[in-house]
Amino acid sequence: VTAARRREVQLAYALLAPACLLLLTVLAYPVGWEVWTSFTDLSPLKDGSSEFVGVDNYRRLLGDPVLQRAAAVTGLYALVTTAAKLALGVGFALLLARPFPGRALVFMAIFLPWAYPASVSVIGWYWTLSPPVTTAYSVLMGSMKHAVDSALGGGAWAFLSVTLFNVWRGSSFIGVFLLAGINAVPPELFECALLESRSAWRRFWLVTVPLLRPFLALAVFLSLTTAFADLTNVWMLTAGRIVFPVLGTQAYWLAIHGGQFGPASALSLLAVPGLLAVLLLLFRMFDPPEEERA
Amino acid sequence: VIEQRWKRWVFFYIPLTLFVIGTLFPFYWMLITAVRPDEELYRSWRAVNNAPFWTLKPTLAHVQDLLAKTTFPRWLWNTFLIAMVSTAISLACGLMAGYALARLNFPLAGFLGTSIFVTYLVPPTLLFIPLADIIRNFQLGNTPWALILTYPTFLIPFSTWLLMGYFKTIPRELEECARIDGATRFGAMVRIIFPIAVPGILSAGIFAFTLSWNEFIYALVFLSSPERKTVPVGVVSELIRGDIYFWGQLMAGALLGSIPVALVYSFFVEYYVAGLTGSVKG
Repeated sequence: VTAARRREVQLAYALLAPACLLLLTVLAYPVGWEVWTSFTDLSPLKDGSSEFVGVDNYRRLLGDPVLQRAAAVTGLYALVTTAAKLALGVGFALLLARPFPGRALVFMAIFLPWAYPASVSVIGWYWTLSPPVTTAYSVLMGSMKHAVDSALGGGAWAFLSVTLFNVWRGSSFIGVFLLAGINAVPPELFECALLESRSAWRRFWLVTVPLLRPFLALAVFLSLTTAFADLTNVWMLTAGRIVFPVLGTQAYWLAIHGGQFGPASALSLLAVPGLLAVLLLLFRMFDPPEEERA
Repeated sequence: VIEQRWKRWVFFYIPLTLFVIGTLFPFYWMLITAVRPDEELYRSWRAVNNAPFWTLKPTLAHVQDLLAKTTFPRWLWNTFLIAMVSTAISLACGLMAGYALARLNFPLAGFLGTSIFVTYLVPPTLLFIPLADIIRNFQLGNTPWALILTYPTFLIPFSTWLLMGYFKTIPRELEECARIDGATRFGAMVRIIFPIAVPGILSAGIFAFTLSWNEFIYALVFLSSPERKTVPVGVVSELIRGDIYFWGQLMAGALLGSIPVALVYSFFVEYYVAGLTGSVKG
């Protein structure tokens, strides 16, 4: 037994080796650099070597009201988009789970927003929501922007555009992703559930959701991390103007325009402990309770 | 029966139609922009517009412009090559790692599993600065290898997790039967589990391919000459000059650049929506 056990452990390490080696060789230096830089005052604008400043960068950032606002906006953005994407994504997946004529076409229509390069479709959205003044519908969009901004405060329209785009693209992804999850579940389980309860609502919460748990966990995790790391979409949809700050744009702005690599690194690492906690929580959800072995 | 038909409309057809309109409208708007002649695109907002949602004089001028003035076909080929190779690498790594994490019992399983995903947590916002150092040191700058080696850093965690979930749904008994028949652990994995997991591998592959096809920041930073670029970067960097957006050409490039992806998907789509179930029954 022990020899077989040793072989199993060896096999496990051998199987994990390629993934770990690749991640380690490519990411070890960049991640280490970012962590180290966050404790220094490194700047390409400054001659000479950088100095170790300890947790100064972090301390200064935590007391900065602009950062607090950016963190609040980022958190709101992550929560709102994740909730909307999950709701819509579950809807897509359930609609597509049963066969009906034209299902493949509807599937394509729902998959397209995610399959499309975001850098390009985001320009399409920018063109739709904030058109240049020389276009025929610029008055319409302009007055909508004005109405939204004056009702909810400056930057609301930009926030709304970014959220809409994120939800449009992300719910498509989550829908297709959950459909893969539903497809992985043996159909007998759903048939049994149909016999157990007549209420579709109860079946959904008691059968479908628990069965999809690993996929839901990954969907939530991906949605949160992309929202927290989002830079390109916010940047493109606001045409590079910081109308409302999020952590990504703040860090990018600090590093590229301010040349302050130290504080910028600290800023982009600030959310990592929180995300790590979420990851561990979701990781626990991922492992279903031990099944009774027959 | 009448009540059922009513329910089917409220819970099925109406939401379905709304969903499809919502997902497709932006594409329609892009298509209209791509074929709209310039004099309709740019006009005074005071001019009367008879056809905001369609055009009476569709033109291919923007498409011709795109093909004549940029190296668009090269961008397509570059993107395709990079996406294929990095997807293949990531799938191979993810398959093995996912199997080990889902099925094998070993001391560091929890730690290694978590650390693979922790790499996902560090925001890529600034990672390109140190990554650019590495790329420069290995003299990979402005070559496809710069992207082929960096894309797996976000593809591997993703496909590992997806495949791990998939492997967990496959009954252990299948494997145990094979072991009793004399197969090694590795043999059982390759001959029994991997074939059953083909749907999962396929969806992981599709997702990885899409993620690499769409990647923007690394491609923007690591590739500099126009003929080496990928579609997303090429379209954006060559057709937006400062504040000037070539809207028609941009939208034409956006539509054409996604045709190969759409072809790949339509090839798998039937299989994907219809053929996935029933494979696990052994």
